[in-house]
Amino acid sequence: MAKADVVAMILAGGQGARLGVLTKYIAKPAVPFGSRYRIIDFTLSNCANSGIETVGVLSQYQPLALNTYVGNGHPWDLDRNNGGAYILPPYQRSGRSDWYKGTANAIFQNKDFIDDCDPLYVLILSGDHIYKMNYARMLRDHISTKADATLAVLEVPWEEASRFGILNTGANDIISEFVEKPKKPESNLASMGVYIFTWEVLRKALIEDEENPGSSNDFGSNIVPMLLKQGKKLCAYRFSGYWKDVGTISSLWEANMDILDRPEDINLMDRSWRVYSRNPVKPSHYIADGATVINTAMTDGCQIFGSVEHSVLSNSVTIERGAVVKDSVLLPGVTVRAGAYLNKCIVGFDTIIGEGVRAGADVEGESPYLNTKICTNGIVVIERGLKIKDHSVIPPNCQVDCDKSVSAEKNVIEEVFRVRKT
Amino acid sequence: MFIDAMGLILADNKKITLGELSKPRALAAVPFGGRYRIIDYMLSDMVNSGIKSVGILTLNKYKSLMDHLGTGASWDLDRKNFGLHILPPYVNSESMGVDDADEMAGLLNFIRSNRSAYVIIANSNMILNTTFNDFVDKHEQSGADVSVMYNRDGIKYGVPNYIFEIDRKGYVKDMLFNPEKTVSNRCSLGIAVLRRELLIDLIADMIARGERNFGVHVLTKKFDTLHIRAHEYKGLVLRINNVQSYFNWTGMPIYTKVKDEAPALYLENSSVSNSILSDGCRIMGTVENSMLFRGVTVSRNSKIKNCVIMQDVHISENCELENVILDKNAVIRPGIKLVGHKDYPVVIGKGAIV
Repeated sequence: MAKADVVAMILAGGQGARLGVLTKYIAKPAVPFGSRYRIIDFTLSNCANSGIETVGVLSQYQPLALNTYVGNGHPWDLDRNNGGAYILPPYQRSGRSDWYKGTANAIFQNKDFIDDCDPLYVLILSGDHIYKMNYARMLRDHISTKADATLAVLEVPWEEASRFGILNTGANDIISEFVEKPKKPESNLASMGVYIFTWEVLRKALIEDEENPGSSNDFGSNIVPMLLKQGKKLCAYRFSGYWKDVGTISSLWEANMDILDRPEDINLMDRSWRVYSRNPVKPSHYIADGATVINTAMTDGCQIFGSVEHSVLSNSVTIERGAVVKDSVLLPGVTVRAGAYLNKCIVGFDTIIGEGVRAGADVEGESPYLNTKICTNGIVVIERGLKIKDHSVIPPNCQVDCDKSVSAEKNVIEEVFRVRKT
Repeated sequence: MFIDAMGLILADNKKITLGELSKPRALAAVPFGGRYRIIDYMLSDMVNSGIKSVGILTLNKYKSLMDHLGTGASWDLDRKNFGLHILPPYVNSESMGVDDADEMAGLLNFIRSNRSAYVIIANSNMILNTTFNDFVDKHEQSGADVSVMYNRDGIKYGVPNYIFEIDRKGYVKDMLFNPEKTVSNRCSLGIAVLRRELLIDLIADMIARGERNFGVHVLTKKFDTLHIRAHEYKGLVLRINNVQSYFNWTGMPIYTKVKDEAPALYLENSSVSNSILSDGCRIMGTVENSMLFRGVTVSRNSKIKNCVIMQDVHISENCELENVILDKNAVIRPGIKLVGHKDYPVVIGKGAIV
């Protein structure tokens, strides 16, 4: 393996249980986002645009979609002779085998990979954040401050600070303390889950952490506090710009809507910092006579005969005549039949919404699919590969899941068909 | 999908010009259908047939074509063995300039270095979504020297056209170019298949005789010495003409160079009907009966009707365009009104500022 100055490691193995049925078959980073992207595209494109050429993608939960999507890394210019994209799943070794126990353990288990690249610095990233960031600038700061670790931070509104991992800092943004979700925050600098470590320091810390049986092997709660206790120099790197963790249904929905409501912030049109993605190979989209499309993002292969307002459509979505789609996120291949009404829905791959179905935030009715743990703010989530019965009614905060047992008369699923799991 | 054939696409066609559109580029590289170039169809047809070696014969103006094709990666033709080869005119120390004999010498080397049994030669002015497996199989079974494709609705697209007359066994007995009187409705698609060795012999012979032109119809003209079988193609074919009906084709995928544009954004006040649009478009005005390529901006209060607008065109506020074709990177300044006739659209050249 060729030597690299910096290696990026993307943590992409988590289940993302809070995304409910959207992550039943695919890991969170592989969930479609923003019409023509998958969530991980943002992190991978940041690497490509920052000139980082060796990228490890740590996958564990339902890896098929993620592995096929990342593939050889070609869409992100990561198909290289020296470096490139590496999928790093957990593996068996003589004597024992372990799943990735925590974020730090995942890196620990791949220390041979990093050692072979022999880098000076390691960049630890999450595969589930939406943001555009130049890691090269952060690395420059890390080098010039001679820090052992640099943590990217975002100034958040004080009233929200207690929802984040907060870093308390002293002079020159040197970190004095890391507090996970503090009740009384002393600072409003939230950790973004973007870390640069000097590899020598991190390597030693990972080994020590692994030897501590009480540790949960997590960067935020174990590695960072341990380094602080050892008196290492940890600096905060202030990032300003759009950043969103899309870990919940409501934040995923919000981030999708931000493409429409805050296009300047998320700035997908910036040609000097493109977000790359794997292309579905579909023709351009078609807007028929009599269709209405307002305030919407869409991409190749869509065919619109009905009405769409304030929505984000992935590739190959069909909206038939008389159907109305509002404030919704439709994933690839969804069909909305004539006369259906969707408001604030997230619909999974290839699902067919039957004629006259009414679903969403302003639909009245009762339903056994109600699931306020996953769905909040009135959002309805519908699983992939379903045919929803004609004229079904799905009220707010429902999650239509084919594995949920529901009495025949209340069941809105007509058919479950096998669809691609990628 | 196994096929023992290589492909040869003729990127230029001296008989067809598309005015401003083909001025800066080869015919094959003219943008088409929102996100494609004309050549994407023939190239994808070949790839979808299982062909792994394709040569693209060019005459001149091939920079745009080369930008588009690159290494051939978009068509999975970036290979160690064979893959995509662009064959510009072969200029050597003995030949002073660029002429077709040099073109043929380069071509001969390319075909000799291959090892497929058959060669499919195609002009690049046909838009069709097909595979050639059946065409090659039927050719092989027939024992003919050459098979050439035709269909029966070509005349309505006007000139140029080559009309075949065939005998009772289905062999070409006459070929006419742009005949005044229609003797037959069998109109050539400019796609032929023949054994690679035969093609080598034919080209070598042509070079020896000082013939300077090479093309599908140069071969089919040899109907008195070769057995040329006419093969009817029954699918939908567009002969670089109207750009609508193909959208709903459920055929094989058509590959093209990926641009990584953002999704198309329809903002408030936009109104779009009966139109095809592509990624990277930002629509704030009104678009009707039009085709917009990737990265087109239509600003507030502007109205576009019956237009073909190519990639990265910027249309400013308060413009009104009707029956206009705008080539790549054109800029329309605020308040401009341009109206062409339906049968004679206004064509604005590449990069023009109006």
